[in-house]
Amino acid sequence: MLDAGRHPLIELLAYSQVERVSRENGGFHVEITRKARYVDENICNACGDCVAKCPTKVPNAFNMNLDERRAVYLYFDQGIPSVMTIDPDYCRYLKDGKCGVCAKVCEKGAVDFEQKSRGATLDVGAIVLATGLTVFDPTPLTQYGYGKIKNVITGLEYERLINATGPTGGHLNRRSDDQLAHRVAYVQCTGSRDLNYCDYCSSVCCMCSIKDAMLGREHDPESVSYIFHTDLRNVGKWFQRYQTRGEEEYGINFVRGRVAEIAEGPDDNPVLWYEDTRTRKVEKLMVDMVVLATAALPSPDAAALGDMLGVEVDRYGFVVTDDAAPADTSAEGIFACGFCKGPCDIPESVAQASAAASRASELVLSGAPVGKR
Amino acid sequence: MFEKAIRETKAYYCLECGICTGSCPVSRLNPQYSPRIMVERALLDDDETMLSEREVWDCLTCGTCSARCPSTVDFNEFTRAMRIGARESGFEGVDTHAGILRALMELEARRRGRRDISWVADDLRVSSRGKVLFFTGCLPYYGVVFSELGVDTVGMANSTIRLMNACGVRPVVSRDERCCGHDLYWTGDRDSFKKLARKNLKMIEESGARTVVFACPECYAMFSQIYPKFVGKIGFDMMHISEFLVSHVESGRLSFGEKESRVTYQDPCRLGRFLGVYEEPRALLGSVPGLELAEMPRVRSEALCCGSSAWVGCTRINKSIQLERLSEAADTGATTLVTSCPKCNIHLSCAAKDKDTDGGIEISFLTDVLSDALAGGTES
Repeated sequence: MLDAGRHPLIELLAYSQVERVSRENGGFHVEITRKARYVDENICNACGDCVAKCPTKVPNAFNMNLDERRAVYLYFDQGIPSVMTIDPDYCRYLKDGKCGVCAKVCEKGAVDFEQKSRGATLDVGAIVLATGLTVFDPTPLTQYGYGKIKNVITGLEYERLINATGPTGGHLNRRSDDQLAHRVAYVQCTGSRDLNYCDYCSSVCCMCSIKDAMLGREHDPESVSYIFHTDLRNVGKWFQRYQTRGEEEYGINFVRGRVAEIAEGPDDNPVLWYEDTRTRKVEKLMVDMVVLATAALPSPDAAALGDMLGVEVDRYGFVVTDDAAPADTSAEGIFACGFCKGPCDIPESVAQASAAASRASELVLSGAPVGKR
Repeated sequence: MFEKAIRETKAYYCLECGICTGSCPVSRLNPQYSPRIMVERALLDDDETMLSEREVWDCLTCGTCSARCPSTVDFNEFTRAMRIGARESGFEGVDTHAGILRALMELEARRRGRRDISWVADDLRVSSRGKVLFFTGCLPYYGVVFSELGVDTVGMANSTIRLMNACGVRPVVSRDERCCGHDLYWTGDRDSFKKLARKNLKMIEESGARTVVFACPECYAMFSQIYPKFVGKIGFDMMHISEFLVSHVESGRLSFGEKESRVTYQDPCRLGRFLGVYEEPRALLGSVPGLELAEMPRVRSEALCCGSSAWVGCTRINKSIQLERLSEAADTGATTLVTSCPKCNIHLSCAAKDKDTDGGIEISFLTDVLSDALAGGTES
């Protein structure tokens, strides 16, 4: 990501919204809104002096709202471009004209409260869609008690907790009492492979939960994990070996059976009810924490974007591509890669991105206008 | 012989994930009983031996498994198909209450006689023809059987009428009403069920009613979900008494007087998981000043069944489920467990009595609670 940020031939338009795309002169005319950051991107060097002094606390969306950030913030540490943004919904100066402390402490004078959102246009020869994914909200699966039982969290919340830059500094602390969780259960297929919600397999969650469980053991030698699954779909190079290693070296117990219900036991400990389909017995298991491996969905705006571009999307909102030309969408000159076209993991997304970029450059470098190849 | 049932219930979609068996309140107590394994055996053509087994009759038809099934297999209908098959092969369930309740239902399917409605309290107003009909179901009959438990089902019917009167409605209570057929349907007696359904629809047509109000969620579920499958489109509106009353509370026509108490509420399988009516009974309880609703951990679509259904099976397992629910209810600190299904009321009252817990939680029917609050509130 940093490479892309530094590349001389890549212009990044982050914090921007594509408003309209029209076909012009054999290419595309793109109208964009560049949202006001209230910070000059060319001057700010993300030193963080403003953040240290900003008095306004805001739920931190990047950390799954598990902690707070300030009204002036860096979306996340490795994000590009590495510049601060002022959140107009919370900033005291932008709302009431009081405060302005960030502007006072910024030695470079990068804060600009007068900045306005502005339009921009681009004329391009090809477009690549890479709108990614969002995750399923497990609240409707009331049997799992998400939102009600404190120590039932989602995989993404776990990722933030176990991350050194996360809200707990990388400690897997429980939401209820801030104590380390040693026994963790992973509930696979939460919303996936379920005709009531997402009838497809999200494909990345099995490997993701194994990785999470391994990380748990690396952070805490007493960690024991249980992965409740329909069947493990670890299809890929060395994936099976990874699973075996998890079982043999990282204290992972694989249980064949989907979790039926999660109840709240004593001390805020979640209690899982399930049938172990190998022994054919109904069991219950009390753990310190439950991680729901939630289904992955296409980005919520994918369908609207498809409409705007005249790109066909399926009933889920995934961009439809041609099996024989997997980077090509239904609209000529528009390509797609990654999760926006269907469930795939990171290596697969990277490969697809290369394919889409190649297809786009083929078109652009040929010099031929779209439609006249 | 199960091919049709497998097709209609989508059992072939089964992922063998075990959510059904893990969810089943019976399976948790009885390792012999497993919805997943029943489906598996049916798919493996082992259905002939299954039909003679006791487990065919163990399902509570509470619908928890199907509500959670990722493949949306309709296990209730699967159970019903098994029971039809079992009956045809000469196997029957164990009728509780010495079969008297089944005899009553079968009698209503066969006989021509009319019902006696002298049970309607003298101060209440009912009519024989009109726009709104109150379908009383088995309430008038159950009084004889269950009064020893302290369950007054006739009183439940009367309090329902009293509340409707308070809304300015004088409901039709028909002498030609029949059992809705719920229990016969779920125990696999198709013929008697169909006879009852036809008689009831004819009765409603003749009454001139445009709206039918039910105090029993089983009747309501049969009319709105099952009858249309067998007898075609229903030409009148249907609602549970809680839905009927809520609209009158909202319009300001109905209000309640002060009633200090802490109650908890049992979601009946039919009203909840089957029909999705969760909020109306709670809204009604909430509209009684001074009445506080304390919820159990498992509520709404996750509510635990009252432990028995269709008068087949009353074993240690059923009793354990009921006692578990009663202890959940008592843990809320409520003095009263309010139910909106007469069957829940009967089953839980029976368990409470067996348990012989003096000073344990009291079990009350929704319309009784509301009608009591009415007396304090409107007579002033």
